[in-house]
Amino acid sequence: MPRQALHAFMRGTVRDVRTETPDTFTLLLDLKGRTPADFMPGQFNMLYVFGVGEVPISVASFRGEKLLMHTVRSVGTVTSLLTRLGVGESIGVRGPFGRGWPVAEAEGKQLLVIAGGLGLPPLRPVIEEAIAKPDRIAGVKVLYGARTPADLIYTHEYSRWQAADGCDLLLTVDRGNKDWSGNVGVVTTLFPMAGIDPPRAIAFICGPELMLKFSILELMKMGIPAERIFISLERNMSCASGTCGHCQLGPFFICRDGPVFSYPKVKDFFPREGV
Amino acid sequence: MYFTAAKGSVHRLILNLQSRGFTVVGPSLSEGVVRLKELSGAGDLASGTVDIQGPGSYVIGGESPFVFASVNGPDSPKRYLHPAEVEMSKLVDEGAGLELVSAFHSDRKYAFFGIRPCDLRGVLVMDRTMLMPGFEDPVYSTQREDSIFIVVNCTRAGENCFCASMGTGPAAESGYDIAITELPEKLLFDMPERDASLFQGIDLSVATKEELREAEGMVRRAREHMGRRISEKDPARKLHSALDSQVWGKSADRCLACGNCTMVCPTCFCNTMIDRTDLRDGSVSRVRVWDSCLSKDFVYSAGGNPRQTRTARYRQFVMHKFAYWPDEFGVYGCVGCGRCITWCPVGIDITDTLNAVLKDSQDAARKVEASPVA
Repeated sequence: MPRQALHAFMRGTVRDVRTETPDTFTLLLDLKGRTPADFMPGQFNMLYVFGVGEVPISVASFRGEKLLMHTVRSVGTVTSLLTRLGVGESIGVRGPFGRGWPVAEAEGKQLLVIAGGLGLPPLRPVIEEAIAKPDRIAGVKVLYGARTPADLIYTHEYSRWQAADGCDLLLTVDRGNKDWSGNVGVVTTLFPMAGIDPPRAIAFICGPELMLKFSILELMKMGIPAERIFISLERNMSCASGTCGHCQLGPFFICRDGPVFSYPKVKDFFPREGV
Repeated sequence: MYFTAAKGSVHRLILNLQSRGFTVVGPSLSEGVVRLKELSGAGDLASGTVDIQGPGSYVIGGESPFVFASVNGPDSPKRYLHPAEVEMSKLVDEGAGLELVSAFHSDRKYAFFGIRPCDLRGVLVMDRTMLMPGFEDPVYSTQREDSIFIVVNCTRAGENCFCASMGTGPAAESGYDIAITELPEKLLFDMPERDASLFQGIDLSVATKEELREAEGMVRRAREHMGRRISEKDPARKLHSALDSQVWGKSADRCLACGNCTMVCPTCFCNTMIDRTDLRDGSVSRVRVWDSCLSKDFVYSAGGNPRQTRTARYRQFVMHKFAYWPDEFGVYGCVGCGRCITWCPVGIDITDTLNAVLKDSQDAARKVEASPVA
């Protein structure tokens, strides 16, 4: 019954849980018969806690990995239960949904991966794919910002990303602490020091709306054309198939037409108050 | 082909539809309101019932010799095709993970009998969203697949109707199985594909030119006496530039954000899923219920609430119908049925809002033109 397929759950069994920050955890799920290769970078799944509800969570794994990866921050009822799952427990998974990052368009270009806070997970597979084929992408700049050093996620991956051919990782935090010797400031403060080559650059951005807004402004000021700026948007979602209305942004349904959009496509509606 | 038959033939027509396996749904008087209900025969029809509607008001008053005398009540076919509450699936978790107990299933096929042209168009509009290739909604598509539509063209416009402005009535143009125009003495049937079995036992005559002309005249009069209108023929483009107009707030200030307009709207499809646990066996029903973009929590997520103000939410409701729908599908999301005006508890009139916003944007454009550029 193909009609039900969009609403049918696969069983995801937790094989590992990693603590990223005190309230953010990474789940590694075994999805019988499916591998991360079935999920494109930038797509999302609906994760379902039995009897409680669903939340849309980005796919953080990439095709080379064995387990499906989702990073979840405990914010509401469903996410707080997701972050308390133990190894061996299972949840429902629906997906993949949405249109992901246009990774092919980055070929031959300098790829700017710009992330704020929990905007990093949907970009992780992009970083991994770019690292896997350094000859096809002319350099990757990962510019990542978090509120404090304790809010940085995927810290165990940094040295590997940094060491990869043609990949630079620049970190920043809004508020440092005594152990932090890196940059302090919003993510755009990294732009001047990143060696960005505007005529060749393409940007993939994910993070809070304010961070998206100012990143876009700064990149365009640097001369990167709007058509080479891609953003991933977030809204409340229930159905994930464009029929519940929660994620509507102007004429777009973020779950179906996004979550990744080229900036010119949505610029009349984002960022715009109350739309 | 056009045929006529006596008014009493509606009873036989309903029975013929039933014997073909249809659940026949049509206008029926219930607790002082004309609802769309299952009909057992013509006796259940709201024959001769006249509805008098105004902003925030609906009363049954007066009698009419017409079988199809009422315009429309709060129900549209949405009530059946996209029910207010429906169990999408039932699940259990026996410890080894989720198991599906049952998924939505229905053998019912509906004959929508005596609905108005605006409501037929409402279905065709909702089809765009709910039957989008690759994203077909399982409930809607199952119910919609075998549905047939016996439309009654309007010869009386309701006080809140503006279908003529939306190009959706008062007569149906396409998409129906049978269109009826009720003449003073008989019924005129328009059957694009004549299905003789539906008319078994009904004495049909080929319609005369006079009868066709009479029907046209009656529909034309309804068009001319339309209660309301939109001042612009194609408002979509102008509305985009009027998004920041201050005028939205004038209607929104009166809005109670109750969601009545979205419930009665034949094209509003927004919904949300809730989990309902059965304490007896631990099973969970995943129940889909209507939701409304007027409600404060509708777009709330971890990132915040993008539509904090009632003005933003009311504007979303109107913009979706009159600007975003045309952007997405090339058709308006509003069919001009006037229900949102009738059932609004404070009588907010969507045509007033639109006309005011359109006028404001025109005035603003004129000001820009008039002011010299430095």
